[in-house]
Amino acid sequence: MKDSIRTLKENFFTGFVFVSGLITLGFLAAALGLVTFKGFRAVSPAFLFTAMREGGVSGGILYQIAGTVILALTTLSIVLPIAWGVALLRSVYIPNTALRQGLSFFLYTLNGIPSILFGIFGFFLFVKGLGWGKSWLTGGILLAMMILPAVAMNLSEGMDRIPKDYIENARALGLSRSQLIWSVLAPQSFSSFMSGLLLGLGRAAGETAPVIFTATVFAGAFIPKGITDNPVLSLPYHIFNLAQESYQPQALQNAWGSAFVLIAMVFFFNLAQLPFRLRFHEEAEAA
Amino acid sequence: MAISLSVDLENFPRKKIRPSWTAVFSWVFSALAFIFFLTLAGFLLQGSQPVLRKEGLDFFLGSIWHYRVLCFGALPMLYGTTVVAVVAILFAAPLAFGSAILTAEYLSGKIRLLVKSLIELLAGIPSVVYGLLGVIYLRPMIFNTLKPFHPETGDNLLSAGLIVGIMILPTIMSLSDDALRGISREDRETALALGLTRYEMFFHAVLPKAFPGLVSAVLLGFGRALGETIAVYLVAGRADNRLPQPWYSLRPLLESGQTLTSKLGGSEVGIAYGNPVHWSAMIGLCLLLFLTVMVFVSVGQGLKFFGRDYGR
Repeated sequence: MKDSIRTLKENFFTGFVFVSGLITLGFLAAALGLVTFKGFRAVSPAFLFTAMREGGVSGGILYQIAGTVILALTTLSIVLPIAWGVALLRSVYIPNTALRQGLSFFLYTLNGIPSILFGIFGFFLFVKGLGWGKSWLTGGILLAMMILPAVAMNLSEGMDRIPKDYIENARALGLSRSQLIWSVLAPQSFSSFMSGLLLGLGRAAGETAPVIFTATVFAGAFIPKGITDNPVLSLPYHIFNLAQESYQPQALQNAWGSAFVLIAMVFFFNLAQLPFRLRFHEEAEAA
Repeated sequence: MAISLSVDLENFPRKKIRPSWTAVFSWVFSALAFIFFLTLAGFLLQGSQPVLRKEGLDFFLGSIWHYRVLCFGALPMLYGTTVVAVVAILFAAPLAFGSAILTAEYLSGKIRLLVKSLIELLAGIPSVVYGLLGVIYLRPMIFNTLKPFHPETGDNLLSAGLIVGIMILPTIMSLSDDALRGISREDRETALALGLTRYEMFFHAVLPKAFPGLVSAVLLGFGRALGETIAVYLVAGRADNRLPQPWYSLRPLLESGQTLTSKLGGSEVGIAYGNPVHWSAMIGLCLLLFLTVMVFVSVGQGLKFFGRDYGR
């Protein structure tokens, strides 16, 4: 009797576990399937390479794609030096473990700041305070700061994973601290850096909240020619607006098309980081 | 255990007295980031002063928000945010735990990696896309399914909570999986060798040790749910000044509501900038959002750090 109850519980548990796994994967399949199914029909060369017309009801998304790429590239160039600086600080220049743990904790916590706060803060500081108006640069700065904690922590943890032998060898050869950084730490943690960076850029490319008030407009922007009052169009903001016009079938179809292209861009970043991530796993295992 | 570089480097020969360019680079760029976040904190604290002075505690407890008469009570939004996040966590946590147990305890090798990466892809889908899916599919679904209860429209706090639940599902799942994988294989093998079933092994050998990690996963997921903006904005209905009557009524789930984030994502931000008190009230909402999120995120992170030692 007791054993049959045990078996029952066991079966129930196993059932629950597999069913939740299936449901979770089902959500993924449904989300991806719907966007692909609806979006694929909307996407055509004309859609990708012409400018929007009639408030997004007709025409394409050329400048939305361009704007998203511009924002991602700006984010990349701003987060790159800062993430290296912060990661080196944590892995190399802060000798005290308590301070180091404090910095780690700080970075992890900053990673949880809701993205809309970056938007409001950027609106106050750059758009109004510095008088930039809406600008692609503000968007890049805010998105860079948003992904900074994750990128820096990923890199710094990559540096911590470097086998101790490498560092001891460098030490035995009499390398100075900066020589050690440039010839051992930087090349050896490059995979970790790339995987964190690409994941971060994927997140930044899909974000809407930080750029609504600071960097993007719905219509009337092309390729920026300066910094102040030079907004861009962007895919997430385009979808955001079309979703609110979704009672118009044509607007809705363009929203699906844009969503499909945006997901493709984000997944490109997510997939591009995979080889790097697998590589540092191998490196860690080989050591 | 990660190899600490800093311990080694402390005894590193320091030949040069003047700092290297690399050190200068590292400190300067770190300082830039630090200044940015310090300014952000200063902006929240300083900027919210006028409205806090004007409204006092009523800013948190007042139930009316009318910017035309400069009356700012944030309670309905605080309520909306809480409801959305609680619905999200109630929906997501069981599924996330189930999936995490599946990947950590039942699957192995390539299949485990495949399932885990697929579920993590869910986290990569931008929130505006979830918002679009919510507007087109979830909204009518909720409206039709719950017709017997007479929902106003499909734009309600329940829809917002469910959409956010799907969004935080992979986050909680992935963190729970990490927590479960952190428990040593010996613990599991000992339990199985004693003749325990998998179910007993999980509840008696794994769960007690992984508990802080799982709680941390839920708290971090909750923190994300509180701060989610775009998807909530699109399906929450954004109706001001809605509070339940009586306070425990479930009715607001089927009514339009406003959350801190849906307010902050709306056009009122632009209007507010013209009036110092109104603007300050918006920053006050930012501060409120920041504080609530930070409480959950920092406790969650703290538990994660603590949980690492606890598991050994």
